[in-house]
Amino acid sequence: MRYIDPKNFRLKDEINWKAQAENMKEIGGIVADLIKETDWKDVARSMGKDAKGLKKRLTHEADLLKNMSPEEFKDFLLNGEKQLGKLYAKGKMATVRREWRGVKDTGVDFYEWARMWGMLLATFSKDLVPAMMGAVHYRWMISYFCCHSFMDKNTLGLRGRALKMHHELIYAIFRYVAENLVLLMKADEKVGNSTALSKKIVLFDEMTMSQIMAGFPDLIGIPYQLMPVFLLSEIDQLACMPYIDAIESYGLPSDTCPVPSSECGAVVVDALPHMGACFISSSMPCDGSVMASSYTNRRFKDLPTYHLAFPVRYEDESIMDAAVKDIQGCIRFIEENTGAKWSWDAYFAAMKRFNEETKYELQKWEINQTPHPQLIGPCYELFRKWNYEMDGGLDPRIISTFKKVDKLMMKAYEHKDEAWRGKMKYRAIVWSIPAHYYANFSNWMANCWGVDILVEMESLNFTKPLETEDRDEALKDLARLYERMVMRRHTNGGYDHVVTELWRQCEAWNVDFVLMYQHVSCKNMATVQGLFEDQARERGIKLLWCSHDLMDPRTVSRKDMRASVNEFMRTVMKAEPVDPSLLDFEDDTTW
Amino acid sequence: MQDLKHLITFENLLDDAANDLVKEAQKEGQYAIGYTCYHMPEVLLNVDNCFSTRMRAPRTGSIDISTYYMSNYTCEFARSLLERGIEGGYEYLDGIAGVDACSAMNRCYEHLEILDCNKKPHFFVTHTDVPYKVENYNVDQVATQMRLRLLDVMHEKLGTDVSDEAIRKAVKEHNELCRVITEIGNMRKLENPPVTGYEFHVICLVSYVCPTAKILPLLKETLEEIKNRKPDPKPWFRARVLVVGSEVDDLDFTRLLEESGAMVVADRYCYGSFPGREEIILNDEEDVVKQIARHYMKTSECPRYMADYKIQQRRDTADRLAKEFGADGIIYEQVKYCDFWAFERPLASHILTEEYGWPTLSIDRSYNVHNSGQLRTRFQAFVEALEIKRIKSQNKEKQEVPV
Repeated sequence: MRYIDPKNFRLKDEINWKAQAENMKEIGGIVADLIKETDWKDVARSMGKDAKGLKKRLTHEADLLKNMSPEEFKDFLLNGEKQLGKLYAKGKMATVRREWRGVKDTGVDFYEWARMWGMLLATFSKDLVPAMMGAVHYRWMISYFCCHSFMDKNTLGLRGRALKMHHELIYAIFRYVAENLVLLMKADEKVGNSTALSKKIVLFDEMTMSQIMAGFPDLIGIPYQLMPVFLLSEIDQLACMPYIDAIESYGLPSDTCPVPSSECGAVVVDALPHMGACFISSSMPCDGSVMASSYTNRRFKDLPTYHLAFPVRYEDESIMDAAVKDIQGCIRFIEENTGAKWSWDAYFAAMKRFNEETKYELQKWEINQTPHPQLIGPCYELFRKWNYEMDGGLDPRIISTFKKVDKLMMKAYEHKDEAWRGKMKYRAIVWSIPAHYYANFSNWMANCWGVDILVEMESLNFTKPLETEDRDEALKDLARLYERMVMRRHTNGGYDHVVTELWRQCEAWNVDFVLMYQHVSCKNMATVQGLFEDQARERGIKLLWCSHDLMDPRTVSRKDMRASVNEFMRTVMKAEPVDPSLLDFEDDTTW
Repeated sequence: MQDLKHLITFENLLDDAANDLVKEAQKEGQYAIGYTCYHMPEVLLNVDNCFSTRMRAPRTGSIDISTYYMSNYTCEFARSLLERGIEGGYEYLDGIAGVDACSAMNRCYEHLEILDCNKKPHFFVTHTDVPYKVENYNVDQVATQMRLRLLDVMHEKLGTDVSDEAIRKAVKEHNELCRVITEIGNMRKLENPPVTGYEFHVICLVSYVCPTAKILPLLKETLEEIKNRKPDPKPWFRARVLVVGSEVDDLDFTRLLEESGAMVVADRYCYGSFPGREEIILNDEEDVVKQIARHYMKTSECPRYMADYKIQQRRDTADRLAKEFGADGIIYEQVKYCDFWAFERPLASHILTEEYGWPTLSIDRSYNVHNSGQLRTRFQAFVEALEIKRIKSQNKEKQEVPV
């Protein structure tokens, strides 16, 4: 059977056309107001300024080409441009143009660009009308129009096999995004209103992995807030600000983590689709996440909710019984609310796939621990999070992505390729939570300073193969997996999991320094910052502290984040930038 | 009203974590077990040769060192405890019974261990897991945790008798204490109560921080005194309020409220009497630890419990207490940087206002409010709003009386 079952896309929509007409009328009114209120002279002035800027840039680029020696020109033609900071322009949402990567790689890049467009159009055309209407219902849907820009900024500076690997990964990420968007809009009461589809959908808290849905092959598990909030903030840095403002106006203190804050804000401004047979809320990964579900419950009173809440002291096997019973309770709850029956065969089949995926994942780690790391950068990090961990073996197509990438990676390793050709100087790992609004930060670090971010804390989760034969053991393994899921493994169950673990990882990855994110609203990590400092000093390990506010770039901007790295690299590492044009540029409004 | 005979003694006992009664009990060979959270059943710490003392950091000043360790945007209560620990303020403890309920408090316990803040050879810190729901399997989970991670440790480290008989004896004494506190607390229901909110706060707090056997006689005497106490002819306060929220062990908080004209008639906050001073009713059939675990889980009002029925319970409890104690309004408070209450407070105060019809004030505050002008202004404004509301409704009632 194909994944996702094509029948699901063909289920009948029950669009309320009257409501859609009213919405369009309202949108029309807003557009009319915009047209009326716009100072067109100012627009014309701004366009004139843009045209002048464009002319200036083209002249500058033509001059650069003219002044190149034949060797430089040849290098430019074959290997592409070297000053990536010039792609950014102040006040613009997109880069001034796409990157020139040399003849061959630009060809590869444009092929992938077209392939991505093809996939997106094909996916949305599976049920285009609700998706289009969703775009005028939800502000966040518009942000997904910039997915090609997201692809570009995450592959910046890549060449050869590395470029191909990253494109494979980002293609799978956006296929996951596009399919979920189509399903969300189709089932949403406000848009497609497909009750037949809605009955088959089980909504999950966004950080909760989908493995439990493997036993329900006829149902669809969707991380509820993933598209409107979580992934959105990685694509468009400005997207979550309205949510945060809304919930803070409601009374939530501004020191709380922007993930649950934005989720609650999305509830307050009615940005979440209304759909699904039931909702699996969870206590994962942290204290803030526990609380956000009360806001969702309040908004969607007709949505039956189960709270999947695993023990915190997860290494204590004496509480395994409670964890297993919680999973069993969740399975029963899904059965009762959907009429579906749990299938062990389907579950074991998916987990066998997941185990195979885990092997590939470990292979990546093994290669990256060598002096010739290959697959590094944001696409790898995002793919691991969404297509490996969150998907959890449900989508059989992911295995082929793993295989293709593995083949390329092994070949690259044999040839001792550099992940960023000619740029790699330092080895580092990321600890703590990366900034969503700067998902491509590791890409910038590689291009600007030649830093290989070999692995992230969020990757280093449960890797034990899951049981695929014994049912009792399988439930225990599933509990162990959830207990050690992304973020949770490190932030729960004692400081040893996050502090001591870092020193173990530093040794395993042979690092020059640690990129120590300081998410200013994460209480869990903040409460061990002194221990990190003390123990790093004792061990002689360098920590690069880099503050951010996860989904709110107003607190610490991307520019500020870069400034803290620049300062560290110059003063502590005594380094010289590999691309000085990237040291300082304006991207406060860039996607 | 005439001052209570033991009020100054009680206030003095609250001036230091290691107070005179704690020292006295330790001299007699008892072991002091510190704890902070209601998720940790207090009564289990009062078994045999141990007594519980709920940890506080009275008269906290600078918390610079703990801020270095735990950053400046984490719970001030947890940081104040750590600072006090680093200063040597908990060297008197023989153990800490910790629960992994919130990250700030868990990290606080861990720091006390890592930074070697207590040098006693038998000193221990336990970390027990607590659930987010109250299903039967969760009760089993807590009971198992209490046996393995607490009682067994007490037995092993301190030679404590943790038999069912010893536990039942502790429950009996605990219930006696609860009856006394409840009887005093219930006097706040009267129109002109013979005890103030501040006095009750003092009384309730000493019952948490002192060895039960030592404080009980003084509390019993105080109960008799209050029973016979003659209140002022006219109530001194302008409004009656219920306080709901996170941990309050700062007497200045209640003092500030009362100076603003509000009598705290019910204390539904952590370290208050709701929950904490309800009797534990045991049967003879079921495992005693399991019964105790269930009691604490069911009565807990901690927002960490995320199940729908617990969320509803919290709202209903606030509504019930406000009605029972004749409150004019509800104050929702949270100690700054507490994630659980940060989310609970806006939503619950909104619902209590919109759906239950209670005037509410929603505030966040420092661990030690000192003499906060900002809070005073907000309290005064709230009291005035409650007064105006009462006057308006009285006028309306007068107008409705047929001539």
